[in-house]
Amino acid sequence: MLNVLIAGVGGQGSVLAAKILAQAALKHGWQVRTAETIGMAQRGGNVTSHVRMGDAGECVNAPLVAKGTADVIIALEPGEGLRALPYLVKDGLMVCATTPIPSVMADLSGETYRTEPIIEYLASTTAHFCAVDDAAICDKAGSRKVLNVAMLAVAVQLSAGVDYGLRGAIGIDELKEALKNCVKERFIALNCESVDIAVEALRKA
Amino acid sequence: MPEKLLMGNEAFAYAALEAGVRVVAGYPGTPSSELVETVAKLHASGAARGVHVEWSTNEKAALELLAGASMAGARVLFTCKQVGMNVASDPLLSLNYVGIKGGCVLFVADDPGPISSQTEQDTRRFADFAKVPVLDPSTPDEGYAMMRVAFEISERYGTPVIVRPTTRICHASAFFDVPESTQARPLIDDGFQRDSKWIIFPRRAYQAHAEIDERLPHIRQEFEAGGFNPVAQQGDDPVRGIVCGGVSAAYAREALAMLHAACDRVGMEMPAYRLMQVGTPFPFPHDAAAVFAEDLEDILVFEELDHVLEDGFIQMAGSRHLALRVHGKLDGSTLTRGENGTEDSLQRLAAFLKCHPAGIVESAAQDQGDAPQPPMRPPVLCAGCPHRGSFYAVKRALGKRPAVLCGDIGCYTLGNAQPLDAIDTCLCMGAGITMAQGFSVVEPDRACIAFVGDSTFFASALTGVANAVYNQHNVTFAILDNATTAMTGSQPHPGTGQTLMGPKSDPIDIEGVLRALGVRCTVRANPLRLDEGMAAARQAIDYPGPSAVIFESPCVQLVKPDQPVVIDQDTCTGCGACIRAIGCPAMGMDADGACVHVDASLCNGCGFCVDVCPFGAISAPVRDEGGEGSC
Repeated sequence: MLNVLIAGVGGQGSVLAAKILAQAALKHGWQVRTAETIGMAQRGGNVTSHVRMGDAGECVNAPLVAKGTADVIIALEPGEGLRALPYLVKDGLMVCATTPIPSVMADLSGETYRTEPIIEYLASTTAHFCAVDDAAICDKAGSRKVLNVAMLAVAVQLSAGVDYGLRGAIGIDELKEALKNCVKERFIALNCESVDIAVEALRKA
Repeated sequence: MPEKLLMGNEAFAYAALEAGVRVVAGYPGTPSSELVETVAKLHASGAARGVHVEWSTNEKAALELLAGASMAGARVLFTCKQVGMNVASDPLLSLNYVGIKGGCVLFVADDPGPISSQTEQDTRRFADFAKVPVLDPSTPDEGYAMMRVAFEISERYGTPVIVRPTTRICHASAFFDVPESTQARPLIDDGFQRDSKWIIFPRRAYQAHAEIDERLPHIRQEFEAGGFNPVAQQGDDPVRGIVCGGVSAAYAREALAMLHAACDRVGMEMPAYRLMQVGTPFPFPHDAAAVFAEDLEDILVFEELDHVLEDGFIQMAGSRHLALRVHGKLDGSTLTRGENGTEDSLQRLAAFLKCHPAGIVESAAQDQGDAPQPPMRPPVLCAGCPHRGSFYAVKRALGKRPAVLCGDIGCYTLGNAQPLDAIDTCLCMGAGITMAQGFSVVEPDRACIAFVGDSTFFASALTGVANAVYNQHNVTFAILDNATTAMTGSQPHPGTGQTLMGPKSDPIDIEGVLRALGVRCTVRANPLRLDEGMAAARQAIDYPGPSAVIFESPCVQLVKPDQPVVIDQDTCTGCGACIRAIGCPAMGMDADGACVHVDASLCNGCGFCVDVCPFGAISAPVRDEGGEGSC
């Protein structure tokens, strides 16, 4: 079983990211279930998308990833990575975008939302952690909208040839192929390019 | 090979269309709304032929419309969220007495948690109360199959049938193999046939009661023999049984698989057990339950919301004098409220089966006292939401005057959050309108204000407005008209004139309706202009008798964002008055506290904050162009 959790804030595209992963898994003939928290949470609240893939041919029962069982957490925002941490399995992979999304509630309560201690904490707690300079990737791609796909690419790339994370189950080419089925035609090139930019950024790092 | 990744609600729409549904009607409500939207999309694309689909003004209207269509021999589908069933309960209970002709299925989505609802009521209980069969899927795939069976049973026995998924089924996705196109089935018997049975007189009700009592045992037998109450066994001669329903069955199966895998890893034997999923809670499959319980000593029941299956097993065991101990919500063996989950089920199953292998779950998270905390993100009104201006204007107009602010159901319930803090009550759809009248009767010195959205206004406020006029209550209605049903995902309503069938109707004018109902003082205002909003609110509040202020500005989800506002860093003193006054999520304080900044990706340039800044530090391009003029 491969369990993936995508954590972010409403509007960051976690639902689409889950769809793309599911589409990639379908090509392998695995059973796939995805689930999202939607509804009131959309109004500026945190949103998580769960993707469960029976990569060993097993049947997927529960729609949601249980705590302590996520092989990968794709955090689209540092605070949301921290919130999702209890879901990560002991030797799991977390990829985390470093750009914060401010919380008006934090401003009202007089607390300052600082991400550095969060990133440090996540890096020290998790077995495999990658802080992603998402702003640089999105700038290079020319759009903030590609954040979700770029972060997916990072998770896929870091899982290549290792026995944690996605365990090499899905390749970069498969990811590109899958996203073609999920995004509007005029955005395919932009998203494929953002995959390349993300992979290139990892190579340089 | 299944092809399309569909959300449960989307899949159920396909299932109903495949079953030949001819009329689909409902009222939006999370987690049910996507079903009607999917039918509408497929109708618009030409894939769903011959179907009529609509958002009705409320659930009662929808079900009554469908009752008519069904009596004419059409297959019909009703959709709502659990509290919508309360609104449609009047027609449902009587409809079950007079009966139906074309298959009549009610899709009612429950919301354990609750995640986006007022109550944790259980529609399985409602089905029992209404004496209507109910099917309870544990996965979207199962719900797909149940939807087709529901139509068949409904038609064969002349009874409405409820399909009751919960949020985690409605909003979970899986791959489905769906037809390219569907065709609505023609009417049975060439349409409506006159018959005294369609008229519910007391004598007819007495006779119908017998018909209900006669058909339910037949339906029960069919459920007993059908595939929706599967039983599985692990090991030999188990004495422990696990009973589960709905998504709890998926959690229990998942937890058992995890327990089994952990046992295998450490070389322990997985204890023997028997598991039954009850997919047909009413009429309860007593015989199947008895066969399942044979030789069992204890059973543990996993279900969300009410203890429906637990009651069923206690009753079955009692009537058969079985020495069976039933554990569940009633004895505190399972969660009595909120959602179940794999984690919780795992813990309880390990204890129940007395099976504790090491390392079932090994989490990366550690209990550390010094861990940083993630920022709080409660749901808030969107950046640029016009409701923010409406609430703020009414509060400013009231000043120190004692008042009670009745809220209602919709995005504007979020007006309760800090810093607006503009709602004192919220009960159910349309209730604010009439609750304000109650306050005014006993506390006449308070200004009694009722906030209501445009969709809710048409759904459930009209009778309340008539009551205020008739009984001369001194209240003010603040109608927040954002031209959509926003909270549930921007559905149209009678005030917009947009229909799901395509042709536009004449939008019903809210002010015209209020005037026609006898509200003499009505004022319109643009909520994004503070002076205008405050003046309008004052005028309405000062009027002796029922009055209304209609705040008109479209939902930010409907309009293209304008240029973001600009904060002059030299003028901004960093006082933070804007943040404390209106709490727009696009505004934040700089880390050094010297200035307020605007997140250009969130700000839609509504310009309301321009009116709030005491130093004139904010400017909005939209204001300079005079684009957002007063109404």
